Amino acid sequence: MRVDHPTRGKLELPAGQPLLEVKSLQVSYGGIRALKGVDLHVMPGEVVAMIGSNGAGKTTTLKSIARLLPIGAGEITFAGKRINDTATADLVAAGISLVPEGRAIFPNLTVRENLEVGAYLHRDRKAMRETLEDVVALFPRLGERMTQEGGTLSGGEQQMLAIGRAMMARPALLLLDEPSLGIAPKLVMQIFESIKKIANAGVTILVVEQNTRIALASSQRAYVLKTGEIAMEGPSAELAQNEEIRAAYLGG
Amino acid sequence: MHKYRTAIFVAGALVVAMALDWALPVLVTDGSVRQLVMLAACNVVVALSLNVINGMAGQFSIGHAGFVSLGAYTSAVLSGNMHKWLGGGDATLARSFIVVPACLLASAAVAALFGFIVGLPSLRLKGDYLAIVTLGFAEIVRLVIGTAQVGSGGETIGQAMSSGGALHALSVAVSKLGGQNGYMGPDGQGLPLYAGPFWVLSVTTLACVAAWRLKFSGWGRALRALREDEIAAAAVGVDPTRYKVTSFVIAAIGGGVAGGLIAQMRDGSYLVNPETFNFQASFDAITMVIIGGSGSVSGAIIGGIFVTVTVKAIEQLQNTSVAQLIRGPHMLGTFELTVDLNALRMIIYSVVLIALMIRRPEGMLGERELGQKRPGPRPKSEPAVT
Ligand SMILES: Nc1ncnc2c1ncn2[C@@H]1O[C@H](COP(=O)(O)OP(=O)(O)OP(=O)(O)O)[C@@H](O)[C@H]1O
Ligand SMILES: [Mg+2]
Repeated sequence: MRVDHPTRGKLELPAGQPLLEVKSLQVSYGGIRALKGVDLHVMPGEVVAMIGSNGAGKTTTLKSIARLLPIGAGEITFAGKRINDTATADLVAAGISLVPEGRAIFPNLTVRENLEVGAYLHRDRKAMRETLEDVVALFPRLGERMTQEGGTLSGGEQQMLAIGRAMMARPALLLLDEPSLGIAPKLVMQIFESIKKIANAGVTILVVEQNTRIALASSQRAYVLKTGEIAMEGPSAELAQNEEIRAAYLGG
Repeated sequence: MHKYRTAIFVAGALVVAMALDWALPVLVTDGSVRQLVMLAACNVVVALSLNVINGMAGQFSIGHAGFVSLGAYTSAVLSGNMHKWLGGGDATLARSFIVVPACLLASAAVAALFGFIVGLPSLRLKGDYLAIVTLGFAEIVRLVIGTAQVGSGGETIGQAMSSGGALHALSVAVSKLGGQNGYMGPDGQGLPLYAGPFWVLSVTTLACVAAWRLKFSGWGRALRALREDEIAAAAVGVDPTRYKVTSFVIAAIGGGVAGGLIAQMRDGSYLVNPETFNFQASFDAITMVIIGGSGSVSGAIIGGIFVTVTVKAIEQLQNTSVAQLIRGPHMLGTFELTVDLNALRMIIYSVVLIALMIRRPEGMLGERELGQKRPGPRPKSEPAVT
């Protein structure tokens, strides 16, 4: 899979600088504070997981990073630049792609059209064809169903389509919101295999999951989010051994 | 060859339209039938443009007639005055090459401006609110034109400008549109009808090609994506507000151009009347889009023709026999039963729409185009794993 962005070129970061950094992020819905000061960072090439139970604020965190929600306080930087006031479209162009929660594909568009919309910001047809080949190589099932309407795909296939669509923008940072949601265990394994391939191709990944086991198994570091705050963080392997986490999220 | 297909098609259509400009009166001697053909073509433009906002963008406008009205009045005022400057006389084909493009451009510009003004604030709102705003807009256009009266009436726009300022001048200008009686040109002599079959058919063809290309362009794809899932579309970089406003302006432009054509359509009416563009007209436009299939370009074409023909057929019926058949002496004395056959039209639409809802809830074609296959069911080879 080729990931170098045709318009962006390779991202050059000084050694030791995170690709994404979130500092004391606060977000409220009306009067309700959903995030009460979240700090996190993702280094280039890392796969970072964020776990937490229902309503902890995981989706809110990802949506804020993708600039789909107004930020109350705090700062978000991407590749050293502050993006608090950047429009989502510009972020996509700069290299951040979000796979929204719950297989948000376009049901009445064909699989091909879904993918093409993903490359919406790229006017270069040749680059788009190449990316399409890469995505199909990653998810051969999509290749077999190019003319089928997105809504007629199975749940797992829809999730593949959502990830494939995000990859069409050739992101440097991929934000994944619960890729395992409502999908059969066998397909969950397949999807995480693909995520691993994407990571191996050099894409940095921040993945939100309620499936703690697989999230910790496929990431290098992880954050535990609890009612809008980071409760714990560390290397995934260590967190997987942590008694508290085993009790709360891994079923003992 | 493939590359030039559209160009060849358009060129061919222009030649055919030019031939028909001459041949239509020879082939079809009945003026009312010619009018029907031309009106159907104009209504196809109405349906195609409304389809952009109601079909492709998934918004719901119920005031499209407002834009058609603005286009019609703009075109009527401009063509009437241009005709006067050109020295009156016949509305010749040669002159139409100056008058029609100028008028249609003006209609498009005015409609676009109003589309932007109406669309910008309301498209930030959710669907139902937009519907109400569009309805209100169309009603305001109709009522303002229908009721505007200022003082003595003898005042010219120039005088009004110097005495009462721009706003006063504007009201004087609107009051010169004839109100309920309709607008018949600057001297009240009737509008010049410059748009013969050539103009009507070629503009309609261009509208079809534009609508088709729009739907299958990256822009159209993004617009349809936005309709399906706003967050997901925004996440791939589609700016929702910009897209909705742009689609609304494009729809307004199409409506304005259609109105501009209707106002000077040969074999058409010598006046424009605010009541032509009432709620019924907006509703007819919605029917055109829904019957054909929201989002389908060929569906809008079929819907536009179907609705025009039904409307006309019933009008004819109203004027002729049936109403007279029911009239006559009766045992209880003479009575006259006047049936409003417009009600019949509502019945026909209702039956067609109900039948469609049962058989094909998405309209005749759904979102597909003529000749496009219905997307097949999933291949059966593998069990669906969810
Ligand atoms: N649009 C909204 N309006 C009001 N409150 C909201 C809205 N969206 C989320 N919330 C609230 O914000 C909090 C965090 O929600 P969020 O969706 O981020 O949780 P989550 O960690 O993604 O949960 P899940 O695992 O169930 O998806 C919850 O208490 C939720 O009720
Ligand atoms: Mg969530």
